[in-house]
Amino acid sequence: MKPLIEMKAVGHVFADGSSGLRDCSLALGRGRRHALLGANGAGKTTLLQHLNGLLRPSAGQLLLEGHPYDYGRHGLAQLRRRVGLVFQNPERQLFSAQVEEDVSFGPLNLGLDEATVRARVEAALDMVGLRGHARRAVHHLSFGQKKRVCIAGVLAMAPDVLLLDEPMAGLDAPMQDELAALLDRLAARGTTILLSTHDIDFAYRWADDLHLMAGGGVIASGPAQAVGADVDALEAAGQRPPVALALHAHLVTRGVLPPGPSPRSVDAVLDALRTLPIKPLMRTPT
Amino acid sequence: MTHRNGTAVRIETAAYASHWQGVAPSAKALFALGGMGAAWVATRPATLAALAAVLALAALIGARVPLRTYVAVALPPLGFLLLSCLTMLATPGVDGSWYWAGSMWPAVVRTAGRSLAMLAALLGFVLTTPLPDLLALLRRLGTPDLLLDLMALCYRMLFVLRQAWIDGVTAQDARLGYGGWRHAWRSTGLLVGQMAVQVWQRAAALQMAADARGYQGLLRFLPAVFPHARRQNAWAGLAALLLLLAAAGDRV
Repeated sequence: MKPLIEMKAVGHVFADGSSGLRDCSLALGRGRRHALLGANGAGKTTLLQHLNGLLRPSAGQLLLEGHPYDYGRHGLAQLRRRVGLVFQNPERQLFSAQVEEDVSFGPLNLGLDEATVRARVEAALDMVGLRGHARRAVHHLSFGQKKRVCIAGVLAMAPDVLLLDEPMAGLDAPMQDELAALLDRLAARGTTILLSTHDIDFAYRWADDLHLMAGGGVIASGPAQAVGADVDALEAAGQRPPVALALHAHLVTRGVLPPGPSPRSVDAVLDALRTLPIKPLMRTPT
Repeated sequence: MTHRNGTAVRIETAAYASHWQGVAPSAKALFALGGMGAAWVATRPATLAALAAVLALAALIGARVPLRTYVAVALPPLGFLLLSCLTMLATPGVDGSWYWAGSMWPAVVRTAGRSLAMLAALLGFVLTTPLPDLLALLRRLGTPDLLLDLMALCYRMLFVLRQAWIDGVTAQDARLGYGGWRHAWRSTGLLVGQMAVQVWQRAAALQMAADARGYQGLLRFLPAVFPHARRQNAWAGLAALLLLLAAAGDRV
């Protein structure tokens, strides 16, 4: 299947001469859940900003549905309508003082009429569970709520591709679960999602495809189960193997679980263990 | 070090908590303008005092603005008014000595009364109207977009940078940055320098965030809807008219 977005040998050099991306290639399949993993400074944010057209490559090219990115005014407007980016720090993304106003900023820039914008804002706030906070001041919200306002601000533009820069950072466990559920709902509607994260266990559990970055380039890309099992690539990207995978491998080696495809989460491993009959512990003779 | 809420934060908090938050800003502006007009027209100190009392009670009882907030916000202008009145009463003579100008008393009372009524009208408006609503009203009234964009960004930045400042002071305080006046001055100086860099970085980040959402050179936001605006404007207009009529009685 033709990828929705493709990066071909993209390089990026910042104004201070430092290199952001080096010979970076990536393909995002339509409607799939993608996770981008890499150590700090690997180039994850730079890559996301290229996909949204905020940064232009110094070398190589980006393609949307097979067509090179158009960096003209109209082309960028079209691109950003289809490819939305949620930044890591909400304080740096929100610039209106009121929730409803901020969410309306993107769709109004698309030139939509007021009634349509109002409907989209309501739907987006509904989706992130903040409908009741529409008229609240942004600075009265918690960090997690601000993050959800940021996501609503991009969802209101109805993008085909949603990019999220470390969306789980700073969120507590229940909020992370809520966000994962929201991303699942969006993926079920056909939205292509790419998120950057440091949490390999979440990425392995949630994503269809994993992309590993190191030194400004993508060093491994593919289905989560294949990339998650590639220990060398994981190490090169500064990642440890997923706990579920390691745990399952140990249990299979010790004959506790039968060999087979490894589960994607620790919970799934526990479920597999629960199906086994309970045996009393054998005391080893001394 | 402790952090106290400044006047701007008090005003903003009161506006969002006000029982009149759902009232159309145009209606509140109309009522405030009526109060100001009445303060301008009235001449008798008793009328001016009654006017100030009515306007203050409207905010305190009608909009449920907390008395503590009201007093805290009113204190700086009241201090300025007191100082101004004292300078009118204590006047330097031609020989360089100071003397008490008792003849100025009626003018001072009238000026103070008028200022109090004007202040009460203004406070009734700002303590019940969140700034985004005010900006939307100003946009409808044809205020230049550039000015409104600047106001919107400054308003948002006020809270972002306030939080950044508090975080910085807390971090310095945790490492004994305010143990003694020399340390305090040094810490404050370092923080001011760091804030300047932060302002620049945050401005660049906001530009990028705006571009990512299709910024076209104009900050456009959806104005809030006030479904009962027409009725509220009519009531506010009537109340403003009554205030003006009561004040006009002084001139008959």
